[in-house]
Amino acid sequence: MSQIKAFLTSRKIAPFVFLAPYLILFSVFKVWPVIQAVKISFTRFQGLQNQTWVGLQNYEALYSNPRFSMALRNTTIYTVGTLLVLIPLPLILAVLLNSGRVAKGTVFRIILFLPALTSLVVVGSVFRLLLGRDGFLNSALGLFGMEPLRWLEVAGLTLPSLILLAVWRWTGINIMYFNAGLVNISKELYEAAAIDGANARQIFWRITLPLLKPTTLFVVIISIIGGFQVFVEPFILFVNGESPGNSALTIAVLIYRTAFLSFQFGPAAAMGVILAIIIFILSLIQFRYFGTFKKEA
Amino acid sequence: MSAPGRPSALIRQPEAVLHLRNRRWVWTLVITAFFVVLAFLFLIPLYWMTISSLRPQAEIFSAGTKLLPSTATLDNYRRLLSDVPYPRWFMNSLLQSTGYAVVTVLICTMGGFALSKYRFRLRNPIFILILLSQMIPFHLLIVSLFLLIIQLGLVESYLGAILPLAAHPIGIFFMRQYMLSLEDEMLDAARVDGANEYRMFFSVVLPNVKPALSTLFILFALEYWNNLLWPLIVFRQPQNMPLTVGIASLVNQYRVQYDLVMAGSTLATLPFIVLFFFLRRQFTEGFAAYGTGIEK
Repeated sequence: MSQIKAFLTSRKIAPFVFLAPYLILFSVFKVWPVIQAVKISFTRFQGLQNQTWVGLQNYEALYSNPRFSMALRNTTIYTVGTLLVLIPLPLILAVLLNSGRVAKGTVFRIILFLPALTSLVVVGSVFRLLLGRDGFLNSALGLFGMEPLRWLEVAGLTLPSLILLAVWRWTGINIMYFNAGLVNISKELYEAAAIDGANARQIFWRITLPLLKPTTLFVVIISIIGGFQVFVEPFILFVNGESPGNSALTIAVLIYRTAFLSFQFGPAAAMGVILAIIIFILSLIQFRYFGTFKKEA
Repeated sequence: MSAPGRPSALIRQPEAVLHLRNRRWVWTLVITAFFVVLAFLFLIPLYWMTISSLRPQAEIFSAGTKLLPSTATLDNYRRLLSDVPYPRWFMNSLLQSTGYAVVTVLICTMGGFALSKYRFRLRNPIFILILLSQMIPFHLLIVSLFLLIIQLGLVESYLGAILPLAAHPIGIFFMRQYMLSLEDEMLDAARVDGANEYRMFFSVVLPNVKPALSTLFILFALEYWNNLLWPLIVFRQPQNMPLTVGIASLVNQYRVQYDLVMAGSTLATLPFIVLFFFLRRQFTEGFAAYGTGIEK
């Protein structure tokens, strides 16, 4: 008995005991479901008990499924659209906030960060109200003599609406990331540049921007990976994610709808596998730039 | 001004100093004014949510740009308590978020300790596998996880909502990095004093990583509080839903009852905004952890 206790409390065994809860949950709820998902992507479900192996049929069906290609297209446009705003805007704001030219900078940092604390369900609900036909945005635009726009009702405006929401939600967080990068740039570099007579514009292009490159790259990559998984925003902004002409249908929304509204588990799993492959490739690019395994292993 | 910005030149030309100082002052004013406008734009959604929740029901849709309601009323909140099980949703969110944060912080702290302070075979492969798991999109798992919790009989249960999310790669990574800086001498001293490994963990290690524990706790509580997808799949019964699923059920209709939704959203958003003002360091460190988790 005491031998067993001595064994369990030994330094050799202790790390495995400490890791056990994590690894058990990790195996049951991560590793196993991944394997199952791949398996399900090759099967057809007729009821929960009756499954037949159908080979690549689910994947072939996706290839000719217009909704899936629409979702791929929309998700890509959304991701690129968010990048075009959510990299330069927070970068410039962070540089300005760090320039010492903003009175009460902390107050602005806090206000811009508040959206990050809100649930996307709440954000989606509020934006649905704000972007309604007689909503605040149209009324405000009307003050400037603009015609009201049907933000959530016509195909061409649904993705811009989603991007607008994303800009509101993520600008503050990205400012925080850029700020962390800016703080790490040595003050001496700026002083030396100022003594050499560099003006603010030259300092930004020649010092700040090149030295922020790792941070920028990091924000770009998490934005791409996050963008490709966008779900709650379109799911709430449009009833059950059903946007006009599928104009804001994203991969994640299509997977959810296929699995839990049409109960087609096989095709949903196949789309999940394709999404995972896309994310995997994007992550490989990230690892190449950030050298995760070079540093850790 | 022969050499703008050159300190030695400025000292010799007092009028240039004055000129530059003036310009600097003007720029500060212009940039600050820009931020004031931006801050107001960014506050609109949260302001509109709060003020809509206080408007009479009929006015919410037709408010236009009226920044204040014709009369402020708590009727929407009254209906929120009588028409839908809002207090239940709130309690469910509170209990599930707390439960999730406790479980996840505990297993990530234990795991992070093993990965940082022991040498054993398979340590690096296990660590790399955990890091790799971070790139699994949750949407790949939703079908198989749903079937799994049906088999395990965990549908509609707190455990079914919490356990599948608890093996958090960023959590264990964050704790590992944090604990790398714990001094081995301190641990050895505890061992010499006769404490076994587990006793040492609870009486020496945990007290020394308190800041990291509170940062992770806040991060995970917020993460669950705001999460929709997994609870949406686990809970179908209104009395078991957390806030996000409950509010989503009110919004996912063609005729949305915005009176209930805005009141419910305001109450759901308030706790973490208030907490944020008291625990800003924990929040920002928590969000930064997402950065380090992916970056390093």
